Amino acid sequence: MNQSLSNPLRIGLRQERVIPPQCLIIFGASGDLTHRKLIPALFELFLQRRIPSEFAIVGCARRPWNDEEFRAKMSIKLEKQISKNEKEWLNFSKYLFYEPVDLQKEDDVIKLATRLAEIDKNQATHGNRTFYLSVSPNYYGSGCKALKKAGLINDPKKSRLVIEKPFGRDYSSAKKLNSIVQSCADESQIFRIDHYLGKETVQNILVLRFANTIFEPIWNRNYISSVQITSSETVGVEDRAGYYETSGALRDMLQNHLTQMLAVTAMEPPGKFDPEAIRNEKAKVLQASKLANENKPWECCIRGQYGKGGNFSNPLKAYRDEEGVNINSMTETYIAAKVFIDNWRWQGVPFYLRTGKRLPKRLGEIVLTFKDVPVHLFESTIINPSPNQLILRIQPNEGATFKFEVKSPGSGMKSRPVEMEFSYDESFGEPSDEGYVRLLADSMLGDPTLFTRSDEVEAAWKLYTPLIELMENAPWKLPICKYESKTWGPPEADQLLSKDNIFWRRP
Amino acid sequence: MKPQLTLQTPLELPPQEISSYLSKLWISENEYSLGANTFSLVVWQPSWLEQCLVINDFINGPITGNLSQEIINTAKDLILKNRLPLATSLYSKKLIDILKKNIANDTSEDLRGQFFESSISTLNPRRLITLAPTLNEHAGIKTFVSAYCPLSDDSSKQPICGDLVVIRGGTQSIYSEGLELINKLSIEELPSWLWWNSSLDDSPEVFDFFLKSGSRLIIDTANGSIKRCLYVLNNALKSNKAINDLNWVRLKSWRESLAMIFDPPSRREILDHISDIDIDIEGEHVIQALFLISWISDKLNWRFKKINKGTDFTNVFFVRTNGEEIKISINPLPLGNPSIHCGQVIGLRLISKISKNPKQNTCIILGCESAECSRLESGGMADMHLIEEVVPNSLLPSEGDVSQLLRSSRGNTSPLFENTIKIAQEIYEAFH
Repeated sequence: MNQSLSNPLRIGLRQERVIPPQCLIIFGASGDLTHRKLIPALFELFLQRRIPSEFAIVGCARRPWNDEEFRAKMSIKLEKQISKNEKEWLNFSKYLFYEPVDLQKEDDVIKLATRLAEIDKNQATHGNRTFYLSVSPNYYGSGCKALKKAGLINDPKKSRLVIEKPFGRDYSSAKKLNSIVQSCADESQIFRIDHYLGKETVQNILVLRFANTIFEPIWNRNYISSVQITSSETVGVEDRAGYYETSGALRDMLQNHLTQMLAVTAMEPPGKFDPEAIRNEKAKVLQASKLANENKPWECCIRGQYGKGGNFSNPLKAYRDEEGVNINSMTETYIAAKVFIDNWRWQGVPFYLRTGKRLPKRLGEIVLTFKDVPVHLFESTIINPSPNQLILRIQPNEGATFKFEVKSPGSGMKSRPVEMEFSYDESFGEPSDEGYVRLLADSMLGDPTLFTRSDEVEAAWKLYTPLIELMENAPWKLPICKYESKTWGPPEADQLLSKDNIFWRRP
Repeated sequence: MKPQLTLQTPLELPPQEISSYLSKLWISENEYSLGANTFSLVVWQPSWLEQCLVINDFINGPITGNLSQEIINTAKDLILKNRLPLATSLYSKKLIDILKKNIANDTSEDLRGQFFESSISTLNPRRLITLAPTLNEHAGIKTFVSAYCPLSDDSSKQPICGDLVVIRGGTQSIYSEGLELINKLSIEELPSWLWWNSSLDDSPEVFDFFLKSGSRLIIDTANGSIKRCLYVLNNALKSNKAINDLNWVRLKSWRESLAMIFDPPSRREILDHISDIDIDIEGEHVIQALFLISWISDKLNWRFKKINKGTDFTNVFFVRTNGEEIKISINPLPLGNPSIHCGQVIGLRLISKISKNPKQNTCIILGCESAECSRLESGGMADMHLIEEVVPNSLLPSEGDVSQLLRSSRGNTSPLFENTIKIAQEIYEAFH
């Protein structure tokens, strides 16, 4: 059957919000994120005709490039995407500019201000500016101060600051950073980015929960016995050892991406679809979250590190053998934690979160397991009837699966589990945008709904404070458990759940 | 009832003093009180029906410009009493002419321009200008002015204020004096919109003024003769003028519902074998049906071939790129209680013939209610694979659609609508 990529009747129907005249300034423009995510996302917005003609992207970094060099470097890095849209790239690249800037040097920032005024005039961007800090987190505070001093973020209506994760290293540093950033700009100007929230499927959790009547009445401790949130990667540390050695899985994934998924899954319904109403509810649920045993955090958390793996033809290195990694590294590449939420809706329901590198599959999913039926009337074809499960797949094969029991065909009355599927691909047939496409557009539109507010970030750090303190003060209590590359983490992680008579879902 | 926008009655001033009064209004001790930096909206608001009903004592005054349920019900009774077709438009010249016949002296209180739906006022228009022509064509011009500050739900936000001008008088004086005043009141740095809240057949000389001006236009082609409506749309296209049509906006749920059916890739093949389409509409006004046909044909790359028009049907023929012919029937249906928007699409049926075996063919039915779906199921459609949806027509007042346009429009004519207009015009030309 003909399965063309796009539905002809769908073309032009979506009314996407148009970004107002704008100048986007990327600090850290020579870095990975700029050519891997940001420029491709902006080019995608351009292809979708959502970029206004009054637009400019100014790359800033210490390297002494000029506009032409920046354009040339980007076109080399984006070769694949450009090859299908060469003409469009030529038009798009006219929006690319470059200014060598060291955010620590006052003169550089003053020079940047003059250049921006010039670009503003030539590109008619009306003074609307979005500053994207894609620099080392060590420079977030000083960067904001430099921008403030140069008067570049003084107008709360026309200037915005986008700050990449990680926002702080722990609760106290996040609090301190928040106070510095907030002394430079109004909270309404600050967009703390977590690209997981830009994913269509994460946003779909809100729609699934709050646009349907059937889920919300059972979305609580009366019907749900446990929740598992998984984000797994097949890749190892690759060329990010320098960063990863100082962060590890807790800071890199658990505190932000997984905790945001927890917040969206567990939050109360907001009164209206309004950025502050949604962020209030997310902050509230994070403030009510705590490790399952705060006094003995080692009992509710497992840390792991990948060892060797693969096979003879494709051997995989252990983490400690990777380039740039300390041979005695105690950095976790896997972490699993058990969390409770102290509120009326979730009291007593365990939330198990796990993330790791070099696991067998790349995936993100949320699994809600429902309570068992009170009486088993029917014999199951397997030992016991499986509990109902709602599986929300964040990536890949985005969609949802509902597992429930039906009568097994035949003369008896045995039950067996079956799955009801919803797949984005099968229902819509079009790939959804990368998270950065959505979030870059939202930041330039000044819509903070999908960005984390200061209190959310602080609450997320506070949740893991007992673990961080333990890792720093008594690491032997939370040892690093080895796991073979391309397996589902250390066996100890299974024990974390088996104590509760639960098993990790094998996706 | 729309909320009253101004707390105080607007001040009556001679037309020549309005501009200087308004410029003084926004120069004050506070540099931030310069008024909203949004857009200006001019509304052509004749409310002929309401004026006639109030003056003839069919309903109580004052005249507000609000198309209330009472006005609609009274008008429908009068349509029946005067033996006009049930689908007669509330903006119909025939109906207004009948009501005008026995008109008494015009002494009713006229508050047009002071009542706005909150969906519009909360967008903080910087300047709202209402053109309020009176039934007395020779009446001189009167102008009123006021400031307004819509209160937001969010108490932390400072109210952003705008101003409001009402230009009232006979059509002639509005044309000769009022339009000149509009020019003076325009705020160059802000986008300006005109909402023609009347039939497009009404006061063409006034409309043409706006067609030539820099304003973005909002019209409703459910009101006005098809010839005039398509003429206006085409003229706007030719002169590169931004135009938005509420009749096209109301078709949105039909376009969206039809597109949704073909979202699953497994259904895309059905589109390549469509052979017949039936469109049921309320009454005789075919323009919305023409839009629907034109949009489908544009998206599926069909070329218009010919039409075949009978007394109670219109068949339009298209050709696919492979030479296959598609027949589209527009069927006007008499309804007991028609919508206030003439010619609304109420049913759509697409038949896709992929095989000689009916079971392998598909019939897609969209109906505005179950009864309409049942009607379209007749004739053995169930022999095919049936896909059905109920697509309720919007009951929103026009103000809701207008505010949506003001909020989201990019200020240009939607490219989808542009292509649709061109094909609709091509089909209409073949009518004669």
